[in-house]
Amino acid sequence: MTPRDTLPVVRARDVTMTYGDIDVLHGVDLDIHHGEVFALLGPNGAGKTTTVEILEGFRRRSAGEVSVLGTDPERGDDAWRGRIGLVLQSWRDHRRWQVGELLTHFATYYVDPRDPAGLLDLVGLTDQAAQRVDRLSGGQRRRLDVALGIVGRPELLFLDEPTTGFDPEARHDFHVLVERLARDEGVTVLLTTHDLVEAERLADRIAMLVGGRIRACGTPAELARRAAARAEVRWTADDGTPRRERTEDPSRLVWELHRLADSPIPDLEVRRPTLEDTYLHMVNQEAAGADGAAHEEVPAA
Amino acid sequence: MRGTPMTNTWRAGLQRGGIELRHLLRNGKEMSGHLTNVVVVLVVVAYVGDDVPGTRTPMAHLMIAGFAAYLLFQVGLINLPQILVTEREEGTLLRLRATPGGIPAYLVAKCLLVVAMAFGTLALLLAAAALLVDGPLPHGPGGWLTLLWVTTLGLLAVVPLGAAVGAVLPNPREALALIMLPVMGLLFISGTVFPFTSLPVPVQQVAAVFPLKWMAQGLRSALLPDAARTAEAAGAWELPLVALVLTAWAVLGFLLAVPLLRRSARRESGSRLAARHRKAEQSGALPG
Repeated sequence: MTPRDTLPVVRARDVTMTYGDIDVLHGVDLDIHHGEVFALLGPNGAGKTTTVEILEGFRRRSAGEVSVLGTDPERGDDAWRGRIGLVLQSWRDHRRWQVGELLTHFATYYVDPRDPAGLLDLVGLTDQAAQRVDRLSGGQRRRLDVALGIVGRPELLFLDEPTTGFDPEARHDFHVLVERLARDEGVTVLLTTHDLVEAERLADRIAMLVGGRIRACGTPAELARRAAARAEVRWTADDGTPRRERTEDPSRLVWELHRLADSPIPDLEVRRPTLEDTYLHMVNQEAAGADGAAHEEVPAA
Repeated sequence: MRGTPMTNTWRAGLQRGGIELRHLLRNGKEMSGHLTNVVVVLVVVAYVGDDVPGTRTPMAHLMIAGFAAYLLFQVGLINLPQILVTEREEGTLLRLRATPGGIPAYLVAKCLLVVAMAFGTLALLLAAAALLVDGPLPHGPGGWLTLLWVTTLGLLAVVPLGAAVGAVLPNPREALALIMLPVMGLLFISGTVFPFTSLPVPVQQVAAVFPLKWMAQGLRSALLPDAARTAEAAGAWELPLVALVLTAWAVLGFLLAVPLLRRSARRESGSRLAARHRKAEQSGALPG
């Protein structure tokens, strides 16, 4: 095995970011392995963008260690840049250029670029090759951004909320494209999104970043199992009051309830939380915490 | 393997400059903007019949030389900053920052574009004036040489300055408003449209600090007969002083432009670009 296969493509240890007095990241740890599609999930303002921009080398971290493709992104040179592909949300550049012309031009910057014609075919823009960039639809524009992101055959591809504003069909096509890149070409993908369904669909592993910390990280199945582990049992007690209890063993709780009651239990219900419930719970908890802190500060202000 | 990174940067930059130039030539709106400048100059000078006071040189020739200097000035200080600000706001700068060798190639392309715009406008103005309104052309090889070095040094004086301005200005619309006023002001006080000596002395002193006055004076020395120098403030073309002032501005411009452009490129990131787009959409400065 070469070291590239054994070392994580992205490795972050205890990364913190402070803007003035505000801590945006409180010690983020990440390992993303070769060929993995990794989703960084979190609500807006959770620190996703900051984390990704630190990894992309566009932002200086306050503290912590980061290695991306074996290099500290703050010291990444052109050779390092050439191994990374970027697809950002807000690109509207090169409006006057023709699609094919733009892709061919960007191929000249790389040592071993993809064939522009083949790339247009891969992203489904062959018919638009002679069209001006500003005449593309939103979905076509984003697919062009993906083509530009992978023209240099990157080993690591950053996708920043890639399907925002896509219709369901465009979203599906985009997912198929990302899966092909990861599976057939071994590209490591770091995807940021706030769409849990997209993360579950595409990612080998998901990290949930809430309030500047990684709150959960694992395969979608692991996270779902962990989320479902604490089921909620609801029933109505003898005195008519509704009761609920969280347990890791709902079957035992239900059995004990039946033994005690020695009769059918009214309104008995066992609910296993989904990954989405867990995610929303974490986000809400964080929001409530932030609100609480804000309320505490009110009298002082 | 392809060429070394160095040759690759030059090739990508020249290719980029060529493509941008082609886009400019095909862009009706922008081209008509440049052509209108030339047409306005021709129309104005066609109506000026007097001679420069104290000489037998037509006033029209003084104005053509002055406008030629002004158009070079405008390429560096209005067109270039506008291009830089627009491309930064659209994300071109960020994409090139994310591309190996992208920023050097971008600078090569911009230099090519600016030189082509400047020399193209100048050639068009002088050729059209010579053909249509009996405008001046340099006398002999010495005159052409002066035209070449004054134009080149003039561009070196204003292009880095324009790049520095483009690096700090906020968005395309505000950028235009902020630079238009001082540039137009200099047009009127630098001896480009009136003889410099007809202006009050304090105004002359202010104008003499800026490069436009010296660019216009240098171009007059290339385009007007030698006898016309009696109408100059010093009674001479003062070419060494022209070279000195323009070189000083070139040095100042480079000292400002290099760190400002570097800072501007380093600050670009996806979230900052997105934040500015949101702001621009609210104010309607950038089409969605």
